[in-house]
Amino acid sequence: MAPQGHPEIIDSLAAEYVLGTLRGPARRRFEKWRATIPLVQERCRFWEENLMQLAKGVRPIRPPPRVWQGIRARLNFTASEPRRRPGRALAIAASVLLVAGLSALLYWRSLGPGKLVEVATIVAPTGAKVWEVDVYSGRLILHAGQLAEHPTDRDYELWALPTGGKPVSLGVLPTSGTAQRTLTAVQRQALANAPQVAVTLEPLGGSPTGQPTTTPIFVAPLRASS
Amino acid sequence: MSPAPSVDLDEQLQSLLQRCAAADPTALERLYELASPFLFACLTRILRRRALAEEALQDVFVSIWQRAGQFHSSRGRPMAWMISIARYRAIDLLRHERSSPVLVPDLPERAESAYDWRDHATPWMPAGGLLERCLALLTDHQRNCLELAFVGGNSHEDIARLTGNPLGTVKSWIRRGLQSLRQCLES
Repeated sequence: MAPQGHPEIIDSLAAEYVLGTLRGPARRRFEKWRATIPLVQERCRFWEENLMQLAKGVRPIRPPPRVWQGIRARLNFTASEPRRRPGRALAIAASVLLVAGLSALLYWRSLGPGKLVEVATIVAPTGAKVWEVDVYSGRLILHAGQLAEHPTDRDYELWALPTGGKPVSLGVLPTSGTAQRTLTAVQRQALANAPQVAVTLEPLGGSPTGQPTTTPIFVAPLRASS
Repeated sequence: MSPAPSVDLDEQLQSLLQRCAAADPTALERLYELASPFLFACLTRILRRRALAEEALQDVFVSIWQRAGQFHSSRGRPMAWMISIARYRAIDLLRHERSSPVLVPDLPERAESAYDWRDHATPWMPAGGLLERCLALLTDHQRNCLELAFVGGNSHEDIARLTGNPLGTVKSWIRRGLQSLRQCLES
């Protein structure tokens, strides 16, 4: 039944299967072939790798936290599931750091350098708080939350997204603890006009071009602090 | 010297998939953090309904968890694998949902960022790839049809209705477009 002697037909079908235009009984039949015939699998891989570029312009949409909760429920990830860390001593140290991080947050907020102007809470799609960005009148204070790991050859860079303008870099984000820096006039201006901040993955040290090189991993609203 | 970010991110995704195969829930969480907004957007474009897209996104990550052991680097790039799981799931769901002939217009994208990131490559799809050069060789009709199919999840009939062209013409544009791409990609 499978046209194994006709690689061109297999390739045409694979292309339309991956594209999505192969439908109905033909699609179901092809799925069976794909499950068992290596040539079919190979051609599907070829088209999947290449056609995925068509989706380049699709703008990410944050799913609501209930979706992740649903996944955890279906897979029986319990709330008490410990985050895997290499070694118990490190696990204790990490939880101390997290507590210390929160204390630092409160400390800075209560005693901080001037008036807290704006805040952005960068939340992962799972609902985990990844960073807290505190904008003071002249300084920026960044608190790392639940970012357990990160690529070793890339840095997370924070950007202000001023309305009608280009992103302005606020520097590389800390992967743990707290970091602070003085804001330049350009950065202060951008933050005053930015409804959002974004985080992108960049080469170590930040983008070499001064602009983001990739689309953001996280986007968060910048809210005026009350 | 320009960086090749996607290669290293591929390694990270691969490592996360390996850990999923070893039943490490944190790895799935990291994968979800990195990939879910993009996959959710892909699903929303095809399924046109938020609730259905949310359900599909759950299915996709459950599937990734269960099949992570089947993925290995000879299988291609991790993101291509995940996008395929998402798209095939969406197309499957369409089978049951689109029994009515009413054409549901594309949902307006409530994209999370006001800034237009279209000029930027996604972290896993660097710009200027071979496909971009090959896509440039297609006619506007061919390219438009391929996008409507791949991104919008539209069937031949949908595309014919959307573009106001005969079914046979649309099928021909798609077939020729794919042939042209294949020739270019494999040359």
